[in-house]
Amino acid sequence: MPSTRPPALALSRPRRTPALQRITRRAAPWRRICLAALFVLAFILPAARAHADDLPSFVHDGQLTLCTNPTLPPMTFVNGSDTNALAGMDIDLARRLAAYWHVPLVPQTMDFEGLFPSLSAQRCGMVISGVLRQAGRLRNYDAVAYLDSSVVAVARVGTPRIRTMADLSGQTVAVQSGTSYAAQIERENDRLRAAGRLPIILQQYPTEDQVVQQVLIGRVHAFISQDVELYYRQKQLGGKVTIILTPDYPDFHQFAVYIRKDAHDTELLQKAIDDLTQQGELSAMARKWGISGDHQSVFTDRKASSRFDFATFFSALLSTAFLKGAALTLVIAILSHLTAIIISVPMAMKLNGRDSIVRRLLGLYVAIFRGAPTLLQLLFIWNALPQFFPIFREHWFTPFLATWLSLSINESAYQVEINRAALRAVDPGQVLAADALGMTTAQTYRHVIFPQALRIALPPTINEFISLLKTTSLASVISLQELLAVTQIQVARTFQFTEYYAAALVYYLAMVFFFLFLQKRIERRFVWADRDKASTDAA
Amino acid sequence: MQLSTSPDPTARISIRGLSKFYKDYLALDRVDLDVRKGERIVVLGPSGSGKSTFIRCLNRIEPHDSGVLMIDGRVIDDRTDLTALRGSVGMVFQNYNLFPHLSVLDNCTLAPRLVRGVGTSDAEATARRYLSQVNIAEQADKFPIQLSGGQQQRVAIARALCMNPEIILFDEPTAALDPESISGIVGIMRDLTEQGITTVCVTHEMGFARHIADRIVFMDRGAVLEITPPEEFFTAPRTERARTFLAQMIRH
Ligand SMILES: Nc1ncnc2c1ncn2[C@@H]1O[C@H](COP(=O)(O)OP(=O)(O)OP(=O)(O)O)[C@@H](O)[C@H]1O
Ligand SMILES: [Mg+2]
Repeated sequence: MPSTRPPALALSRPRRTPALQRITRRAAPWRRICLAALFVLAFILPAARAHADDLPSFVHDGQLTLCTNPTLPPMTFVNGSDTNALAGMDIDLARRLAAYWHVPLVPQTMDFEGLFPSLSAQRCGMVISGVLRQAGRLRNYDAVAYLDSSVVAVARVGTPRIRTMADLSGQTVAVQSGTSYAAQIERENDRLRAAGRLPIILQQYPTEDQVVQQVLIGRVHAFISQDVELYYRQKQLGGKVTIILTPDYPDFHQFAVYIRKDAHDTELLQKAIDDLTQQGELSAMARKWGISGDHQSVFTDRKASSRFDFATFFSALLSTAFLKGAALTLVIAILSHLTAIIISVPMAMKLNGRDSIVRRLLGLYVAIFRGAPTLLQLLFIWNALPQFFPIFREHWFTPFLATWLSLSINESAYQVEINRAALRAVDPGQVLAADALGMTTAQTYRHVIFPQALRIALPPTINEFISLLKTTSLASVISLQELLAVTQIQVARTFQFTEYYAAALVYYLAMVFFFLFLQKRIERRFVWADRDKASTDAA
Repeated sequence: MQLSTSPDPTARISIRGLSKFYKDYLALDRVDLDVRKGERIVVLGPSGSGKSTFIRCLNRIEPHDSGVLMIDGRVIDDRTDLTALRGSVGMVFQNYNLFPHLSVLDNCTLAPRLVRGVGTSDAEATARRYLSQVNIAEQADKFPIQLSGGQQQRVAIARALCMNPEIILFDEPTAALDPESISGIVGIMRDLTEQGITTVCVTHEMGFARHIADRIVFMDRGAVLEITPPEEFFTAPRTERARTFLAQMIRH
């Protein structure tokens, strides 16, 4: 039986399969008998365990590393306000696999788009994140299915059911970016266009909760998702949405664990999944997370309030998750900007100096890092750098360090222009006077040039800092749990957009206003530059 | 101007054949000059004649290209300790170049503290002494921006004095001043002489030059054309160039 590799669970309909023939025998009734027999066997056999010498190679340094994007309940999400408390079917499975191989599980959370690059960069051994088993992905990775599923098109309650995807012609549909629904809809559109009909209009959003929100606010007609997720959402949404179609896409039938290509590893992983299936552990997990074949059963009619919930807002505002997120945002911004200032001062001095090779290289540096989008630089340092230098794959290279590194480099390219202008604005007569008094170059910079340049550089520098403070939110793509990442995770869990967005806004504004206030205070110290102020102050 | 070809080690400043190029432009053309201790030299000449270049060579803010510069019998060249040189040769600029971010007192104490390693209280005592010598003791805690041009020029002089120089170079010290302030500066420069300080002063003010100069050095196109006492220079200039220069000055 294991040689036929049956789908792990017979739930609803299968999901992201490589449209291959392998799993077409699923409906056979003898399969159920088999499963029942296995349940019995599970009591007799010792608990499924692997032999230590038969570990897959992605179990590394005595640990099993997992990459997951915890915004897809009930597969992988954050349960409760502690952003480190991962939960869901996928997390349970990962834990069980770790136990199976007698190693601790080390999960890493990140944006969906970051999952596969991180797997390639060997930052994690496997990806379990509600990802479907699909032919396209199998070209670069190996996958082992663990849960059946099916695609659903979902619209607001009251929307009439449709018969085929073609009925969505001319309508707007939202999907999560990075998922393969977009490609599927493109194929659908090719057929529509060939038939002379309007295509489906596609919108893509980075998180699943935003996708759902588009339907709730009526911006799009429907969203495409997986049934399992919808079961869970229904609890939060209180029956506001309904399934209007369950299209039969063979490529969307199964959730799978992804690993780097390796036949032996795949075999070992398949064996582990098979063992867990046979002992009924997978179906127990599915039941625990409410993943059930009966669509209608989960349609409860609990009414969710559409009013602004102040209790949620204030508890978010005071939660440790938000405080930690805000602190991380602040710390990474301050550290990055300080580093940027420290490296950009000598750079500015060199760039203001005589033409040389170093000066040209610095000019190139500034052009590159000002030219490339900050998001791209972050993704490059996190995902591409490890492919050139394996040292960046190691555990010390955390998202925090990667963000610090890329934001420092990026910011220095902007700060250097501020510094150059400020240094140039200092009257050359000042250097002459310091020279004539016998001061050394270092003394001149320290006591004469820098204090005067600082006054000129301060307002644009604070501006840069405020801008950087907000730029840190990009670091959520490489899984840094800064303020916006925390917010998104909370929104995915609770669906209370307005309350959590408002709490994040309060934090950002509070930080920005604090620095604007600080700027005013510091500027008051530059009385020497303003005749009137100097006079009133001296009085 | 028949000076011997070798420099005079007994003079405070002795210059022979001093030349200076900016790229291929000859800014100083074989200048010869001896300055005695306590003497007041005024450098005159049309704009662009090299007056500023000349006095900047004296404290090596501009290094010369050829010729000999000797101060107190020591040759000044690329091996000279610049800190020591600039301690003994002070400079006062046309637009003062005070440090705007420092109080008057701190302007005067910064270099003594950093360069000479003088303690703060000693440096401040010295600074206050020189500030009262130039009659602005009561402005010690103000910032330069709060002072008038004449007051700022006095601070610049006090700042130079705080390094206890033997020579002070002035580049158009009166250019931005009203007549009353100018007469104040004249008084201060006479005081300096009484303290034994040698001064070399570039100016465009003929009245000022006449009042303070022991000798006038007249320059044109980088070369020194005349070195004469002021009475003689203003009444009977020896060169044609000086005559036309004076005629133009008087017409103004
Ligand atoms: N740093 C420099 N680089 C190139 N040329 C210079 C430089 N400084 C001065 N010169 C040139 O050298 C010549 C003498 O300049 P200098 O400033 O010594 O004249 P000056 O007699 O002081 O004139 P003014 O009375 O206008 O102050 C001028 O032709 C000037 O253009
Ligand atoms: Mg000049």
